Amino acid sequence: MSGQKKEFPITWGMVIDIDKCTGCGACMASCQTENNVEPQREASNKLRATSWMTVYELTNDKAYPDHDIAYLPRPCQQCGNPPCVSVCPVIATEKNENGGIVSQVYPRCIGCRYCVAACPYHVRYFGWFDPVWPEGMEKTLSPLTSVRPRGVVEKCSFCHHRWTLAKDAARAAGKDPEDLDDGAYVTSCVQNCPSGALAFGDLKNPKHKVHELIKSPYAYRLLERLGTDTQVYYISRREWVRKLGDNYLKSE
Amino acid sequence: MGLDRRAFLGLVAGGTVGIMFTPVPWKLIDDASIWTQNWPWIPKVPKGQIDYVTTTSKLCPAGEGLKIMRVAGNPVSAGGNPDHPLSRGGVSALARSEVYMLYSPARIKSPMKRNGKTFAPITWEQALIEMAEKLGAAKGSVASISGDATGTVNEVLTALVGKLGSAGTFMMPGEATSAAKALKLMGAQGQAGYDFENADTVLVLGADIFETWGTSTRNRKAFGATRPAGTKPASNYIYVGPTRNNTAAVCDQWIPASAADLGVVALGIAWHLLKAGATSTAPGFDTFKAVVNGGYGPEDVKRATGIGGDVLAGIAKTLMASKASLVVTGSPFGQGMGAAPVIAGMSLNMLLGRVNKPGGVFMLPELASVVPGALSRAAMLDGDLPAFLKGVESGKTPAPKALLVYDANPAYGLPEAATMAKALEKIPFKVSFSSFMDETAALCDLVLPNSLPLERYDDVVTPYGSGFCLYSLVRPIQKPIYDTKTSADVLLALARKLSIDLKFDNFQQVLKEKVASLSKASGGFVAKDVMPWQVAAGKPAPALVGGDLWKALEAGYAWTMVGQVAQTGMGFASEVVAKAVKAGKPAAGATLAPYAQLRTGTPATGIPCQDLTTVPDTELLGETTLVRLNSETAKTLGLKKGQMVKLSAAGVDCQAKVHIFESVMTGMVSAPLGFGHTAFDYFSQGKGANYLSLMAVAEEPGSGMSTWIASEVKIA
Repeated sequence: MSGQKKEFPITWGMVIDIDKCTGCGACMASCQTENNVEPQREASNKLRATSWMTVYELTNDKAYPDHDIAYLPRPCQQCGNPPCVSVCPVIATEKNENGGIVSQVYPRCIGCRYCVAACPYHVRYFGWFDPVWPEGMEKTLSPLTSVRPRGVVEKCSFCHHRWTLAKDAARAAGKDPEDLDDGAYVTSCVQNCPSGALAFGDLKNPKHKVHELIKSPYAYRLLERLGTDTQVYYISRREWVRKLGDNYLKSE
Repeated sequence: MGLDRRAFLGLVAGGTVGIMFTPVPWKLIDDASIWTQNWPWIPKVPKGQIDYVTTTSKLCPAGEGLKIMRVAGNPVSAGGNPDHPLSRGGVSALARSEVYMLYSPARIKSPMKRNGKTFAPITWEQALIEMAEKLGAAKGSVASISGDATGTVNEVLTALVGKLGSAGTFMMPGEATSAAKALKLMGAQGQAGYDFENADTVLVLGADIFETWGTSTRNRKAFGATRPAGTKPASNYIYVGPTRNNTAAVCDQWIPASAADLGVVALGIAWHLLKAGATSTAPGFDTFKAVVNGGYGPEDVKRATGIGGDVLAGIAKTLMASKASLVVTGSPFGQGMGAAPVIAGMSLNMLLGRVNKPGGVFMLPELASVVPGALSRAAMLDGDLPAFLKGVESGKTPAPKALLVYDANPAYGLPEAATMAKALEKIPFKVSFSSFMDETAALCDLVLPNSLPLERYDDVVTPYGSGFCLYSLVRPIQKPIYDTKTSADVLLALARKLSIDLKFDNFQQVLKEKVASLSKASGGFVAKDVMPWQVAAGKPAPALVGGDLWKALEAGYAWTMVGQVAQTGMGFASEVVAKAVKAGKPAAGATLAPYAQLRTGTPATGIPCQDLTTVPDTELLGETTLVRLNSETAKTLGLKKGQMVKLSAAGVDCQAKVHIFESVMTGMVSAPLGFGHTAFDYFSQGKGANYLSLMAVAEEPGSGMSTWIASEVKIA
């Protein structure tokens, strides 16, 4: 896969400080409404629920009192070598735009769900039913994200529409839309996190904070050994948390 | 003329070539692909000009400033306001729900009157006539319950009830109730405010400071600011409590202790501080020292709590060595804590010299009331609602003739919920001003729906926990969607009908007068370029320029003031400590250790529909809630992972599924609150059980306050 990897001048990336995440769910709630995901009355059935951003609970698997926990927010990892792209028969998901965000083109999607099976991070969701909002609540839909019918796959887009808005704002201010200031474009989850555990920016831009953050000795990515080369980084000072990022043998 | 073979082939070939060159089939295919995806039953996104307006969250107790995105004038989403000191851009899952809750299926769409077991819609005029008649007849015996801990609406409510003849004006119990009682017993003046931003070591005794305690979004922002990603933290947070909850999960250290033993832990640390020479000139110090030395030495504390002397000595050493230490005491589930543990925790701040110091505890002054005859916040917090309702239920206290319930849901959100509901049934005339059809509204005779915060004027005045005085405006950004009114306006109209003079005609006038009074307060400023914690740390406070404070508040900025009430007689209240700080009794079955989270809303909001997705399946699976216990406790009780169990206490049974979770103390059963609603909508109703109903209320010795911090439960 690495032979096919495309490089982009801008590489949008997220850095998540696990040691600051309290697991409150504000990022998930922000994502749901920003991206017009319907409220789900059976949301506790995680096989059915759609949640582009999901907070996982990690544990060190030790018994009380040595037990420890951490929370891991998981958006789409926006892989450099996305396993979902190569399996899509209709080019509904691509990685070919500057910024490196893996696209999901709903009108092209035929609902075969090969990408759902291929994604090692479980970030893709299939709409089994048409979305329904309680009466009147459709007035609170965001105009920036389309509503998906049943039968297509959806996933986190790094709030791509916000990038468009940020570029428009830069143009209006006479700035270069291809060289946005740090913080000019951030995703909804990053913006609303009460702990400041999430950071977002251009991984290749030295003026952006994330450019330095990913060099931290505590930074790691999920399932790095698969070679997916993700654009989401995690930071934890706890070694057991970092070790859960991949499938290590006991001897490693 | 016949069609010969040559002509036929020519026609077919010509037709094929013609079809290849005409756009019709391609256009038809294109149209088919478009129209097969043009499904009219899928909602269309709104179109129009996008703009942003600011307000303050009232649904979320953390009081964050909000930035609302609107499309063609309609609100579509709520984010944190980066310019607001209680938000700084952050927002809780509950505050995020402010917009879509406008269309919650649980909303009450018009005033309603009970008609047997159901409700019938009535007009506002009819409602006012009915209310005036019933309240006029109930004069001298009218009670009120408010669930709004921060609003000036309480002034209108208490002034009206006072003039009608009060049988009691109560707040729903919370962290502020315990703290106010503790400060009163200590002889202190003001409201305790915690300066997290300037603290470097924070000892948290029980309080879930990053979830349900006080200004939790601001607390998290302050925490995050001292912890740049990937580098050594510039602060040290230590959590003491029964579970590794959302707060403890990010703290540097978790020390397991029962919520009933937090006072003992505080005094155990005090013993080490006293040994190291800590002293105080505050009244009662000598008695306090004698009490601590007499029963809270390392051996005593270890026996009572299981925490080793070396652990507490280490904490005491860390606290003394830090430049700006802070001790915060509260309940792990936001209510039920007595006054004594708060006094014990505050005593540590006094021994460390952290009262009215940057990075410590400020005793904040209460802002002046503007409605004549209104009760102060301190006076409202002095009422003991569970004790009152239990008295009514048992017949020891005469039931009031009428009850006004504002933004509160006592039939669900109090311990021994069944008893509380029975007490409410004894009150002959009840009015609910709830926006949603909650459990209490369902019991009332009149339901007069309050407009939601995005539809009304309201305010947030210094939420408990804030390290500075604060005033933030809530303003309507759209007209009421249904036939609802601002309850404060309804109360003022009712007062006029009853010929009671409350000085104001509408609530906006009250708020304008309140804001005008702030303009006169010395030291107040609009937090814009300089934030209050910077002023607390020594930066000069900017002057309140311009004079049009109302406009600045409407623009989303908050008025703040850094200041403290000089303490003249703040003492250690050692007599209360000596009587009330005792180790919890070991439970025969298990001890219930509830926890609450903003994502499941408050008793007054129910579960916001979009937040249901954020609840993990280790908390709610299908329609069943899960309780957490460690493997040792499970083994002792003979329980297995996934087993359905019945929790029994206070004459109530609750179903649960067992979830083995090792970050719970041995002997404890950790249970999520916010579930088990019988009212609201299909996003809340029938989801799990209300474990708060299992909590038994007891009277705290020394203070006489109702407590329900750690109840024994039977599991079978």
